[in-house]
Amino acid sequence: MDIAALQLQMRDAFRVEAGDLLAELDSSMLELESRPQDADLLNRVFRAIHTIKGSGATAGFDAMAAFTHHVEELFDEARLGRLTITPSMIDLALRAKDLIGQLLEANGSLALEPACADVVEALAKFLPHKVAPASSARTKPAAVADQKQRYKIFFKPHPQVFSSGTDPINLVDELRALGEATVTARVEGIPSLESLEPEQCYLAWDVELLSAKPIASVKEVFLFVEDESEIRIESLPMAVLSETAEASPLAAFLNIASQSLEALDGFLSQFRGTAKPDPGCSKNYLRILKTFQAAATRQRQDETAVLLEEQIHLLEIAGTSEATLADETKVSLEEGYQKLAAQVQFLRGGEQSGEKAETILEPKPGVVSQPANPVGDAPKKEEAHARATIRVDQEKLDRLMRSAGELLVARNAFPILAKRIALEHGLSVMGKEVKDAGDQISHIAEDLQAAILSIRMMPIRTVFQRFPRMVRDICRAQSKEAELLLEGEDTELDKTVIEQIADPLVHLVRNAVDHGIELPDAREQAGKPRAGKVTLKAYNKATNVIIEIHDDGRGMDTVRLKKKALEKGLITAAAAEAMDERAALELIFLPGLSTAEKVTDISGRGVGMDVVRSNIFRLHGTTTLESHQGGGSKVTITLPASLMVSKGVLVSSGGEEYVFPIESVVQTVNLPREQIHRHEQASYATFRNEVYPLLRLADHFASDKKLCDVAWPEEVAMAIVQTNRGRVGVAVDRFLGQVEVIVKPLGRDFAAIPAFQGATILGDGRIALVINPAGFV
Amino acid sequence: MAKIIMVVDDSSSMRQMINFTLVAAGHHVVEAQDGMDALAKCNAQKVDLFITDLNMPNMDGIQLTRRLRADAQYRFTPVVLLTTESQVEKKMEGKAAGATGWIVKPFQIEQLLAVVKKVCP
Repeated sequence: MDIAALQLQMRDAFRVEAGDLLAELDSSMLELESRPQDADLLNRVFRAIHTIKGSGATAGFDAMAAFTHHVEELFDEARLGRLTITPSMIDLALRAKDLIGQLLEANGSLALEPACADVVEALAKFLPHKVAPASSARTKPAAVADQKQRYKIFFKPHPQVFSSGTDPINLVDELRALGEATVTARVEGIPSLESLEPEQCYLAWDVELLSAKPIASVKEVFLFVEDESEIRIESLPMAVLSETAEASPLAAFLNIASQSLEALDGFLSQFRGTAKPDPGCSKNYLRILKTFQAAATRQRQDETAVLLEEQIHLLEIAGTSEATLADETKVSLEEGYQKLAAQVQFLRGGEQSGEKAETILEPKPGVVSQPANPVGDAPKKEEAHARATIRVDQEKLDRLMRSAGELLVARNAFPILAKRIALEHGLSVMGKEVKDAGDQISHIAEDLQAAILSIRMMPIRTVFQRFPRMVRDICRAQSKEAELLLEGEDTELDKTVIEQIADPLVHLVRNAVDHGIELPDAREQAGKPRAGKVTLKAYNKATNVIIEIHDDGRGMDTVRLKKKALEKGLITAAAAEAMDERAALELIFLPGLSTAEKVTDISGRGVGMDVVRSNIFRLHGTTTLESHQGGGSKVTITLPASLMVSKGVLVSSGGEEYVFPIESVVQTVNLPREQIHRHEQASYATFRNEVYPLLRLADHFASDKKLCDVAWPEEVAMAIVQTNRGRVGVAVDRFLGQVEVIVKPLGRDFAAIPAFQGATILGDGRIALVINPAGFV
Repeated sequence: MAKIIMVVDDSSSMRQMINFTLVAAGHHVVEAQDGMDALAKCNAQKVDLFITDLNMPNMDGIQLTRRLRADAQYRFTPVVLLTTESQVEKKMEGKAAGATGWIVKPFQIEQLLAVVKKVCP
């Protein structure tokens, strides 16, 4: 077995779980802050920490486990009702939790030691007594002694030993495995058959062991039974050993012999008597004879073995029913017994130093106390979000996803084929059949896609759950009061999106509290409640997921925004003058514009809203901002729920074909030319009482300069597209219908072109560029 | 000989770590996330050995041991508890409930295998 590889596997498994547990701890510790007496909650927190410690140490994260032990101690005390959790304890525990995460990443590094020591010291102040650190040292296997030792062992298991799942024979065998052992069973405790309880153990064993192992190894054999069994282990000195080593097998045999003779005598006296012998007694007689014989054969006591063989034979012929035992047989048994006794007597006389073996240690009356079974109250069902799950390598899932995606695209070939069969080859029936077959494959492919997509989907909860802690921390640091409301935590997003949306959201929530929410006094003066409110909300809308971050704070000051942008030379004075409210708000998304008066710890580190927008843009999402001075701000993020396969609208423009992701297309219309107006170099379309900026796709990409001058046709095919700047009308030559697309990235050299998400292969094998509406305008 | 071993722990990584080790040693492993889950799963096949954590939601290791001992099929089947050094009382309680032995966390791969071999050779 490759132990090193196993350990690596263990570490990986643990890291995954620890990540989940730490995230859960974040939210459960915060809950605990508001409900410090909640026993279920306390138990949940304790258990998570306990698991991190136990599993972590097993996986080899020793430093982390030793540190976690201190935190565990705190919650253990609280769980047992010996202390009450206070907010400052939660503060400390959260700090410790962060350190645990860091220790996990930097396993082996010493850089965190001072920070850990600080926390440990602070924790110790809360604990009623100083706690010795957990020894994460593993017990080293004891050094193997070179010299052999002789042990004399007596083992009498508790009569109920079987009901603890222990088979005492296993233990005897274990002793045997330690060296040369002579095992003698003590059978005198076995009652007669009718009073024998089959589930009880009546046996005891004497074992003489010659072994190179230290006494600790011998004791270890009885580790699990030492409390309730009678066990005596004597280690005999080496000098005695050399003398008795050879004698010991004989001594053991004689031991068996005298016990057997004793038992046989007991039965014989029954046979001799006039009363009816106990049922089963001749069967037992036979059994003892056989045991005795086995021992004799093992010890090469051939004469004894022959005598026993005769007796066994005799009894077997007579049958084993004591009631029908002939007097003749009884006499023979009696004679046999006398011969055996004489033989044993002879052997005993020949034994020189047999005393040691004969000193049978009389077992003391067993002190077997069974602790009363304390009836623990059944732990209540927890509403933890535990579900049965399988962890799958993401690469496998991606491969499955790609194949399913390709299937979806490949099925687009069927309608094209069907059309060609019908039109070019004149086989309309055949064409229909091909089309039907294609439809069926289509359905299956869609089901498959939906199923795989759902595997990749994760609730946004995993991202949201970090925010209560964050908001609380910022508020504490800045003496603000704010309440965070989470909505739609079960809204699902593609795993990749979930992973990448976290950072932008962190930034936005920070901003909301740091820049948005005013100090309690200021809020009161403005006629607002002292505590601010930040709402984080996720919901589905068509194929999109919308995430809103809304605060009721001071809102954006567009005048200041403009001033700042001017100062930094990002816009001209004239442009600033002409800007409406909406355009001014857009300034916040310019790189290099940070409005915080001073750079705080929390935000304003130069990472601005531009980064947020560009990160979301990379997820093919859009970011829009609404704000009213004094009335708070709202950032709305629109994301495609899934990245992999999507539907698109195929259009032709200037001789090329393009795909708009369907989630970006609000509507497609054929607009009469009269509804298009020109105003200062720009065109606008009026549709259903709304005015949209209108641009021509062909002009935009200028694939053929001449086309730019073409006047609008009588009817203009226009798609209303959602972009970062709101809805825009895009004029194309023709709409070619809806298609399934797998977007493939354009490759490194073209990755910087913001107007395209990538390219896709159409059903007939041609390639079309997929437009990224967020980067398009 | 290959055994069927049920590993009961609410920590998935602990289950996995034990699973890897036992499978590498040639055993079959069935995982359960708490006592309830273990009871639900232990009738599908005869389990040769249970390795269970103590503190778990829904049904803890002690209760599980008691329930197994009350089940004719598992009266004499070894049950090994996963404990920590600090759980001495629990260890005794476990024994009283009918547990066969225990493994102290953290344990090394060799220790785990030694205990398995001990109770279920």
